[in-house]
Amino acid sequence: MKHITKVYGNLCANDDVQLKLNQGEILAVIGENGAGKSTLMKILYGLEQPTEGEIYINGELQHFRSPHDAMAKKIGMVQQHFMLFKPCTVAENIVYGNEPRKGRFFFDREKAVKITEELCEKYGLYIDPKRIVGDCPVGLQQRVEILKVLYQNADIIIFDEPSAVLTPQEVHELLNTMKKLAGMGKSIIIITHKLHEVMEVADRVMVMRNGKYITEMNKADTSIEEMSYLMVGRRIVDTKIEPQKTTGVVLNVENLVLMDDEKKKILDGFNMHVDAGEIVGIAGVSGNGQPELIQCITGLMKPTSGKISLGEKDITGKTVGEIREAGCACIPEDRYLWGCAKEATLTETAIMAHQDKPELSRHGLLNMKKIQKFTKRMLEDYDVRYSDLSQKAGELSGGNIQKLIVAREVEQNSSLLIAAEPTRGVDIGAMEFIHNRLLEKRKKGDAVLLISSELTEIMSLSDRIYVIYNGKAAGEFTRAEATEEKLGILMMGGELHEEK
Amino acid sequence: MSSAYFASILNSTLRSTTPILLAALGSAICARVGVFNIALEAQMLIGSFFSIVVNYFTGNVFLSVMAGMLSGAFIGLVVAVLQVKYKAADMVIGTSLNLLVNGATSFLLYIIFGLRGKLVDSRLVSLDKINLPVIKDIPFLGRVLENLTIIDYLAYAIAILLFIYLFKTVSGFRTLSVGISKEASESLGTKGTRVQMRMVILSGALCGLGGTVLSMGQVTMFTENMTSGRGFIAMAAASLGQNHPILTIVSSLFFGLCQGIGLALQNVIKSQLTMTLPYIATIIALVIFSRRNMKKANAMK
Amino acid sequence: MKKNKISENMVLASLIRGLKAVRQPALATLFGLVVGALVIVACGENPFAVYKEMFTKSFIQPFYLYSTLTRATPIIICAMATAMAWRAGYINIGVEGQMIAGSFAATVAAIYIPGPPILVAILAWLIGMCVGALYALLPAILNWKYQVTMVITTLMLNYVANYITSYFVTYPLKDPAGDGMALQTVAIDKAMCLPRLAPKSTFNAGFIVAVAVVLFMIFITKRTVFGYESKMGGFNPSFARYGGAKQVKVMLITMALSGAIASLGGMTEVFGLKYRFSDGMLTSPSYAWTGLMAALIADLNPLGMFFISIFLSGLQIGGSAIQRSMGVPLEISTIIQCCITLFVSVKLVFRFKKRKKDTEGENQIKVEGKEGSEA
Repeated sequence: MKHITKVYGNLCANDDVQLKLNQGEILAVIGENGAGKSTLMKILYGLEQPTEGEIYINGELQHFRSPHDAMAKKIGMVQQHFMLFKPCTVAENIVYGNEPRKGRFFFDREKAVKITEELCEKYGLYIDPKRIVGDCPVGLQQRVEILKVLYQNADIIIFDEPSAVLTPQEVHELLNTMKKLAGMGKSIIIITHKLHEVMEVADRVMVMRNGKYITEMNKADTSIEEMSYLMVGRRIVDTKIEPQKTTGVVLNVENLVLMDDEKKKILDGFNMHVDAGEIVGIAGVSGNGQPELIQCITGLMKPTSGKISLGEKDITGKTVGEIREAGCACIPEDRYLWGCAKEATLTETAIMAHQDKPELSRHGLLNMKKIQKFTKRMLEDYDVRYSDLSQKAGELSGGNIQKLIVAREVEQNSSLLIAAEPTRGVDIGAMEFIHNRLLEKRKKGDAVLLISSELTEIMSLSDRIYVIYNGKAAGEFTRAEATEEKLGILMMGGELHEEK
Repeated sequence: MSSAYFASILNSTLRSTTPILLAALGSAICARVGVFNIALEAQMLIGSFFSIVVNYFTGNVFLSVMAGMLSGAFIGLVVAVLQVKYKAADMVIGTSLNLLVNGATSFLLYIIFGLRGKLVDSRLVSLDKINLPVIKDIPFLGRVLENLTIIDYLAYAIAILLFIYLFKTVSGFRTLSVGISKEASESLGTKGTRVQMRMVILSGALCGLGGTVLSMGQVTMFTENMTSGRGFIAMAAASLGQNHPILTIVSSLFFGLCQGIGLALQNVIKSQLTMTLPYIATIIALVIFSRRNMKKANAMK
Repeated sequence: MKKNKISENMVLASLIRGLKAVRQPALATLFGLVVGALVIVACGENPFAVYKEMFTKSFIQPFYLYSTLTRATPIIICAMATAMAWRAGYINIGVEGQMIAGSFAATVAAIYIPGPPILVAILAWLIGMCVGALYALLPAILNWKYQVTMVITTLMLNYVANYITSYFVTYPLKDPAGDGMALQTVAIDKAMCLPRLAPKSTFNAGFIVAVAVVLFMIFITKRTVFGYESKMGGFNPSFARYGGAKQVKVMLITMALSGAIASLGGMTEVFGLKYRFSDGMLTSPSYAWTGLMAALIADLNPLGMFFISIFLSGLQIGGSAIQRSMGVPLEISTIIQCCITLFVSVKLVFRFKKRKKDTEGENQIKVEGKEGSEA
């Protein structure tokens, strides 16, 4: 790939990026979220067309209009979100698109099983072809994705953040698989921001930052420290946080267990407490029970067992309304699913969960004047760019709607504020703004529970950090104790050997 | 209850099942590709109407049936374009099409024939009644299968063919995959929207055929709004049959039985009350089955 | 200075918003009338003459205007009943059944409960509203307890209500004195009837009830916490749940209100116009469905529904007038109505088309046109 540029509107996602891949090697493309790695791969896989630039394979110029074209040139991609048919069997998923037939029309499922078995044998990736994909653990599902790509005869395989949802054992197996495939002559690109993985498998490393190509090097010539410096481009500036005395427990979670419909434990005896005047962060790889934990606390889900108390009150299994009443506000992780309704006006968005408060309504009747004033004040205080109050929430940009949601929840003046992924997908300005609001909340002596998949965010804001792994609290650190390495090991399900 | 009486109930059950079964199959294939089609009623009614119109002018049974299916498929096409392709709200499209077809058929009835309410004419030809050679002489069974039309048999064949298509062929496999995950199927080169549109149009044709049976089967006439909620009963039948063609046969037979019993009881109980039977049965059936599902879900927890 | 500019912008923005809200129904109406004109031409008449006659005999001449408003009364109320449920995300297509059940109960109460007419009338209306509410609560409860879809249950209950009342007026409660063919109850006490508002016309106080319902609806949607929560639930149930809205309560109240309002529609017809309950009196003019169309066309906006209901009712009155005087079938008004509804429902299509401006969009129009002209 040469001089790839991709422009979305006025956002330049890829700016004159180049990438070279040799046969049989593993190239790691690293960079922070939003560095343009995924865009680059989408272009290579034909999902997006470059604004400028050319792609050559074996010296030939290519024009990919769709994944179909890319597949025809033996490029395959294992996507972060699996493209699988969960109620179907492994074999059915693998042969999709090029199914063995009986006669002209009939689907030969037995042959599909046989093909799968041969494929497993050939690459040493074993899986029961007749198993239903939805019943397989995530690691096996990813294996199905890999086999699918191999069945399509891909020579170049792209892995997009492959380890994001895997357990450490699964990651280990995955890395081995990659090495094995490279050994068989396949060329592999792995997109990641986990540097340990890079050190383990990659032959070469390419670094991207802010949509730009920074450098590339052989793995042997670099170190984790150098890579992380190159990725971020600056040393992470620690936000100055004044140490502050905490006063009394606000939220206490004891032995929380949540089972899903198949009796799998999503939360498995989770314990934690959050005190007044502190920010507590929960670090963890996504898929370890974070959203469920929040939903249990806020009342959106009923825990199977365990106890949650807010202040003096036991709020286990109470309704959302009662829990909010008791003093819990929440910035939800998915702003368009939980945080707003796209068709609702800004006023309607702003007063959610305020509508019963005496300042805004009496006996079920809304006081429109006060509501307008309230909304306006909030929009202005929180620097939301809007044109008028009857504008629809869906018309605001992601960062602005997020600021409005933050405003709404902070203004609840609750003793506990849960902030789940409060800055996901917002620009740096909005991010700093939101961080400062969380710190102000702490300063006021309220409790803040921060859940984020960005370790830097957790580490820079939190007074205390819990690591969540497989629905359990795998470790607890104070601000001073926490290091990226220690957290990383626990997040991956490892154990800390040295004593504190 | 005499066995002759019982046989006649089963006979009318089979006859009332056919339109519901055909429409339910239409509903099922739409659900299988992830489209919520509530214009079934419109698709059926227009089929009833145009089959009778063509019947009146040509006297040709085959052409009438084709007209019924094509007109149903036409409404299916409208649903496909508006709802699948342009993603307009399903409830609104379905409801307004149901109303539109209801109004349009009454209007055309007046324009073409100068009639209001219903069209009965000696010129109208009904579907041929079949009495199978050997079976008609078997005492009970012969009575049960008496005077059925070819479409009564065809409906079951269509259900079985649909089953084979969906669950045994490659094309059917891809069709189902669209319903499971349109995104995934499109990432693998299946044209999801096109598959959905095709299935909605097919559902229109099936409903149109169902409507044809209604106007040319047991009776040969057209009355305003003669489908009277059958499209919705068919939706219930399909969902009780888990949108599986074979199970849908069973659930449709149940609704047919309710109508059959209703008809049989007319001599005992006033017809206005027996007519409510299929509707009440639909509600009760939906409740019973959902409760069972819930128990299952609870048991798993 | 800056503040002035902002407020100016806001006025402008809300003006544009208002225009946008009107544009779609207006365009749709135009489209419906054009399709109607095509159909009239197909019938061999002059569309301009027909439309002139139609509008004179629905909105211009006082006698017809009163008929239009009389007919609009139950339509307006049905539109409100529909909108009450739909805006909260509950697809109630059983307004017809709720209206039949409620008004039948009220009629029976008015006829058979002894006492001073005024008190009995009030009691009858209350009973009617309760029965209507209960009839709408049934599907709501089934949905809550068993997750049975309301689309099917509410529709099924229409037929149930219709057949059962039909049974009663055919047999046990049939007016023995009346014509043997007339399936109806005896008349209610004259003192209980709603007063007429204009001489020599059927225009009655039922219309005031309709206006009251519209005001009530506006009040509920704009000024109450309940209205707010139900609206948010209709937009995005997850958002409402997350915000702590009491969803089950909201659903039950919504459906009960919807059913109670629906029954009012039937009761204005019984107490204001017919003075008795007769078989099919509420179904054959398809009040509920016209109301549903009005609700869809006005995008559930109360004031919009009020005017659209009157417009649609005018179409129907004018439709019967042209049938009498010019021999053009009155179903022409049904066609126009349905085309308007369908056109409004595909507004999304046009947004798409604007964005894409491709040939597929062009095909879209053709399909539309075909649909209309065939009808």
